[in-house]
Amino acid sequence: MKELIKKLTQTNAPSGRELKIREIIFEEVKDFIDGYEVDRLGNLIVWKKGKSNQKLLLDAHMDEIGVLATFIDEKGFIRIESIGGVSPYNLIGSRVLFQNVEGVVGIEGETAEDVQKNTKELNFDKIFVDIGAKNQEEAEKLVPLGSFGVYSASFTDLGKRIVSKAMDDRIGCAILIDTIKRANPYNDFYGAFSVQEEVGLVGASVVAFNINPDVAIAVDVTTWSDTPKGPKRMSLELGKGPCIKIKDSASISDRRVVERLRDLAESQNIPYQLEILLRGGTDAAALQKTAAGIVSGTLSIPCRYVHSPHEMIDVDDAENAVRLLQALAEEPKALI
Amino acid sequence: MNNLYLKELTELNGVSGYERRVREFIKEKIKDRVSGMEEDILGNLIAWKEGKNSKKLMLCAHMDEVGFMVSNIEEDGKLSIIPIGGIDPRTIIGKKVLIGEKEIPGVIGYKAIHLQRGEELTPPSFENIKIDIGVNKKTDAENKVKIGDFVAFATKSTVNGDWASGKALDDRGGCSILIDLIEDNIGLFYTTYFVFSTQEELGLRGAGVAAEKISPDFAVVVETTTSGDNPEFPEARRSTELGRGPAISPAHSGYVIDEKLFYWMLDNAKENNILYQIKRRTVGGTDARRIATTLAGIPSAVISIPSRYIHSPMSVLNLKDYENTLRLIATSLTKEVKDERTY
Repeated sequence: MKELIKKLTQTNAPSGRELKIREIIFEEVKDFIDGYEVDRLGNLIVWKKGKSNQKLLLDAHMDEIGVLATFIDEKGFIRIESIGGVSPYNLIGSRVLFQNVEGVVGIEGETAEDVQKNTKELNFDKIFVDIGAKNQEEAEKLVPLGSFGVYSASFTDLGKRIVSKAMDDRIGCAILIDTIKRANPYNDFYGAFSVQEEVGLVGASVVAFNINPDVAIAVDVTTWSDTPKGPKRMSLELGKGPCIKIKDSASISDRRVVERLRDLAESQNIPYQLEILLRGGTDAAALQKTAAGIVSGTLSIPCRYVHSPHEMIDVDDAENAVRLLQALAEEPKALI
Repeated sequence: MNNLYLKELTELNGVSGYERRVREFIKEKIKDRVSGMEEDILGNLIAWKEGKNSKKLMLCAHMDEVGFMVSNIEEDGKLSIIPIGGIDPRTIIGKKVLIGEKEIPGVIGYKAIHLQRGEELTPPSFENIKIDIGVNKKTDAENKVKIGDFVAFATKSTVNGDWASGKALDDRGGCSILIDLIEDNIGLFYTTYFVFSTQEELGLRGAGVAAEKISPDFAVVVETTTSGDNPEFPEARRSTELGRGPAISPAHSGYVIDEKLFYWMLDNAKENNILYQIKRRTVGGTDARRIATTLAGIPSAVISIPSRYIHSPMSVLNLKDYENTLRLIATSLTKEVKDERTY
């Protein structure tokens, strides 16, 4: 599974520019599905036929957070805006990868005091990307205004723990791919690799309308509580199993989804955690509110340093998520 | 002909939810020049013209403007107001307004500087801003206005060379562009729906409903957007600048603009040497987010006329920008949207 995760996380596809990741995911699943559709917003929806007339939809978003080039000065320095939740603090000392070129991020300041002050009150007005261009013209050839970029950060294998950019939510994509490959579904099984989650759950809100599933589950990362002086009001630990989400700040999981996943995990001896996330949300919030309402929930993977260039997960959590979702897909029982 | 009706359009009162006057005006101007026209339940005006291709393209400009609503009539005949849409109270003191269907004149009042004690630096709040309609008694006021009446700025539009000023340029500028596009007999590639939408300023309320009814293959929102070319802003952080052509948005709040539509407009601008600019800020949203997430998804784009001081009693735009916006949209409407994704 690590190889797949590496391939997916190292592909560059910020929100609204998901072409490459969609092609790679499609190559992975195409021999294991009964049909597919790429909808008008770019969501990839694949399906496997089951034996019942109910539909299960699993969703993982394939976009990652990024930046947008909006201005280039006469010396060739590029100004950027964030696409999704990129903190300027995570850009300082980092590299940004545009389609044709990589750049480093610098901070404005005439004196040491200026730099200190700007660092303290950092925002996108105070930083710039330097691609080593001599002037505006040279920079604009490589990074035309309106170009999208992502963090440039490698994949590191630390054994059980792995680190990369874009673990959010390529880990969900990897879990969904492996579930599609392995599952022999009882209910009709739809997998959606959705677009533009990071800017506002755009893709998922139309996927659910299109498919109209009986149950929908978002597979996404969540945050963590197991680092020095980490949050005490919630419990999310790496390696303790996938998290069955009960609540976050965007949705409350349908009780039936929570109970079904928990019962399955118990009966199959799959480790799991119960998740209450103080701040954050997933595509489930959009899925739940679609059309006349859809029974929805989220299965999440604890992930340290979310939205930084170096997101860490435990690969056992991903493996166990696949086991749990495969069990759900194969259970010879009506969904609700 | 272009900007035939811009001046008249900005002088009409159409605060969100009360767009009737704007709608009736537009209806009258376009009725003989479209293949069909209808008004929906939320008050959106939808007109269409056939194109070479039966696929549907929806153009959308919102008719509503920011303003106020009378929320109470005080004992002394002054009117309490609530803002309709985003308005900075510092921009409205001492301005003339028109109230309700009878367009009763009034002035937005606040205590004179002589009576302020070190409060000059505190922005006034809507708690203590009142409208004065020239009466001293509640009963006299009640004969003229009612709770729930709309309040619109009473600004006359002026044109000075290439510069036009007026209230409600956001988004009568867009409405005017759509009317001009209907007026000019363009060889439309797609069957084109011209939507004049309602209640955008209160949260994109009208456009989604219109999109659901039309179910277009793509949509382009025609807006009037913030400029930010004030001297205190560094060039890099100006959202747009006047005189540099239409602003094409790559992304905004809640939605990354559809890639093929973005390049459709950009390429048409380049090929036809039409001055354009890429919008430098992504804050703020438009009807595009609402339309994009309608039904099973409708790819959307945004093109805007840059404008200074929007959401205030007086905004300014450059008529050359208006012309270039019109030209760019008119040229693009004759061309197919190519599906060549790059990234």
